[in-house]
This record gives sequence, structure tokens and C-alpha cells, in this order.
Amino acid sequence: MFSQAAAPPPLGDGDLIAKVAGGDERAIATLYERYGGVLYAVAYRIVGQRADAEEVVIEAFAQAWREAPRFASERGSVAGWLTMIARSRALDTVRARSRRNRLTASAAAERTGVSPAMGEWHPDPAGAVDHAERRAKVREALETLSPPQRQAIELAYFEGLSQSEIAELLQEPLGTVKTRVRLAMQKLRESLRPFYFERGT
Amino acid sequence: MSRPDQDALLDLAAAYALGALSAEETQRFEAYLATSPEAQREVAEYREIGALLALSEAEPRPAADLRSRVLARVGEQKTTALSARHPAPGSGRPTPLVWGALAASLIAAAGLGAGLLSLRGRVDALQIELAAREQTLSERDRLLRAREATLNAILEPGVKLFQLTSSGDPEPLIQLFWDQQHNVAILHGFQLKGVPAGRAYQLWFVKDGKPVPSITFQPESSGHAKVERIPVPTGGTLSAAAITVEPESGSPQPTSPILLVGPLQQKS
Repeated sequence: MFSQAAAPPPLGDGDLIAKVAGGDERAIATLYERYGGVLYAVAYRIVGQRADAEEVVIEAFAQAWREAPRFASERGSVAGWLTMIARSRALDTVRARSRRNRLTASAAAERTGVSPAMGEWHPDPAGAVDHAERRAKVREALETLSPPQRQAIELAYFEGLSQSEIAELLQEPLGTVKTRVRLAMQKLRESLRPFYFERGT
Repeated sequence: MSRPDQDALLDLAAAYALGALSAEETQRFEAYLATSPEAQREVAEYREIGALLALSEAEPRPAADLRSRVLARVGEQKTTALSARHPAPGSGRPTPLVWGALAASLIAAAGLGAGLLSLRGRVDALQIELAAREQTLSERDRLLRAREATLNAILEPGVKLFQLTSSGDPEPLIQLFWDQQHNVAILHGFQLKGVPAGRAYQLWFVKDGKPVPSITFQPESSGHAKVERIPVPTGGTLSAAAITVEPESGSPQPTSPILLVGPLQQKS
């Protein structure tokens, strides 16, 4: 009598966050499957080691669980919101260590983005393809920046430095750094606008 | 504000979304952001770029058990949130030291004449304060519903307002709207300091001279806190309410000094 219903279409991020706000643990598991890797990547890039990066991801999802009822879609996508939480938690972790030590270490480390022992992570083929395509676009967009522009963005985003701190570190006038950050972000906006993550509903 | 000033502020949106403004600039920009839909759109868009920048890194593989650890932590929060809201009433004895201090602060608070205020005035203040928080449409929608519920609850007949203060300082302040017909209360706090990770404020009712644990809560970054539908203990004489800082999951008895306190008075 009853025909087998077709699998329902996957829920959008906005629907998932609404379910999380209602206390649905499966929904946060799905968000982990979609963005856990992205959050881990940004956490790892900022804190520089696995155990701390994992703790950051755990804390970030715990915070998202608590704050989901206050998520406001017009302030940006779920992915953007989750990433912002992870980035703040990661920077908190790093600030708890000595900033001087970290800068010295990271300058010496000559980052290659991924340590040889770690492969790329593809937990979910559809999601991974999605991320891979976006990642390629982001890298392309970063290539269009001048090296000083790219450096300023990376120091701000991944090292958590303010524009004044960047100016001090690079021994350049603050005004120069401010202009650089602004122009770089405008350029990224032009090239990346078609690739933003889905907005919540 | 003149257009050139606005443009100068709008220029800060990109750096703000990157978290690269100085503390002073952040404050100035946030004041502007609260009033400017244009700036809110700019920041939202620049934040998307932040999310994409996270992708520029190849994803190193997280440990296989990370997913289960994330879900375990979420599950833990779920249970502590539930148990913290409904602590077992009246277990454990008060520590004499803490409650000696309570007695002392009670005398101080009573001397200030803390007690009933004009309910309408406080409701107006609550409305103004809530209105200031409404920055986006969906938030406004949600807040309006919440506000209506809060106002209805406060305007019920038989609701009395009591104030908890800190040694007579006007701030921080906690208002307790106690619906004496239904024995539920709404807690509304202002200018509360943040609490360290893993800790929360806990409300205590003093019944027959002994502290009875109530809800725990954490203030928002604005220092504001609101908890509704707090059960008020019955079957004894309530003389005061107090606030201490305790572990997030709540304590059966106070373990830290009293931060705020105020006398309670049951209807005669």
C-alpha cells in the first residue's frame, strides 16, 4: 500500500540551526559533518597543534549549541557564524600562551598549510566537493592580492593581530596598513561574492 | 552624522569583520553599527569572506573520535542545563560563615529601604532597555513576543518587585518580580560582571533562615540577564534572596561570598 518515500532533500544550514536551537542533537551532528573539517582547519592554523585545535572545535560546537537560539541569519551564514566562533576560541587559546613565543615559532615554521602526516579530510563526498571547489576559488582570489595585502589579511585573520599591531610588526605606517587591509578585503569581496556559503533561512 | 563621517566609519567595516580594529575603534564602530543597516550589511558580507578564508587552508584530518567528543560535550550541556534549572530544593546545611555575611548584608540592604518600587516605572525601563537591543528584524520579532510574555507576567495581579543590590551600590542590580499568586519569579539583572568559564551566578531564596538553591544563569556580554518562570519555594517564610557565584551546574549550598542580596516580603 505504502510506497517507499524518496529520501527527503538534505536540510539547509538555516533549518539545521533552527533544529539545534530546539535541542536537536542530530542537527548539530549534521553541522559537524558539514563544517567540522573547516572549523578544525582554521583552529589548527591558528593554534598550530592538534590537541588544542580539537579542544577548540569541541568548545566551538558547544558554544554554537548554547547560542543557536540567538543566531540571526541576516548577519551572515551559518558557516560564517561557526567559523567566527571557532576563530575566536582559537585566538583565546593562543592568547593564553605567550604571543612572542608563538610569533617566533610560526615565523620559523614556514607554514605549508598541512603537515605531511595529515591527508585532506573528506568525511562526506558532497560536502567535500563543495568545499574543494570553494577552496580553489579562495586560493585563486588570494593569488590576486599583492603579497603585502595577503600578508596583512593573514596576520589579522589567523594571528588575530589588530591593524596597529600589524603596523608595529612590519614597521610600517598605520595608515598604510589600514588602506592595505581595506583594499584587500574589497578585492576579495569582488572575487568571492558568488561563492559565499548558504545564508540561513 | 554627516556623510563623510559615515563613510569614514563604513571604511572600518572590513577591518572590524576581521577583528583587526583597536579597542577604541571597535567601540566607536559598534556604536555606529547598531544604528546603521548599511554597516550591518557590510559587516555580514565581510564575515562571509572570513568564513571563506578559513577554507584557504587545506583541511588537516581531525582525530576520528572528534565527532563523538563534540557530541558528548553537547550532550553534557544538555543535561547540566536541565539539572541547573531544577536543582534539588533545600539539601545541605548552610555554612555559618557565608550566612553570617548574609545577615550582615541584609541589614545593610534593609537600611537602604530596598523593596517595592513603582512597577510601571520599572516596566517602562524594561521596555526601553529591550527596545535598544532590537537590532534586526527577526530579533525584533522574537523579542516582541518575549517582551509581551514578560510584560504579561509582570503585570499579573499579585506581582511584587524586590531588588537585590551589592552593599548598596546602584550597580549591579537584580530585580526579582515575584508573582505571589503563582509562586514564580522573573529575574532581571543589569550591569552584571561576566563570570569565569565553568561558573555561573546562582540565585538563593532564604527560607526559614536557610538558603534554598534556585536557578543558575550567566549574564550576556552587555551585563544583562533575564530568567523567567523561576519556581519560588513554598511551605515556609521567605525573608531574602541572594546571589553567589557557583559552578555552572549549580551548588546545593553556597560556596562563595554573597554578591547581591535583598529582603523579600510575602503578602500579609
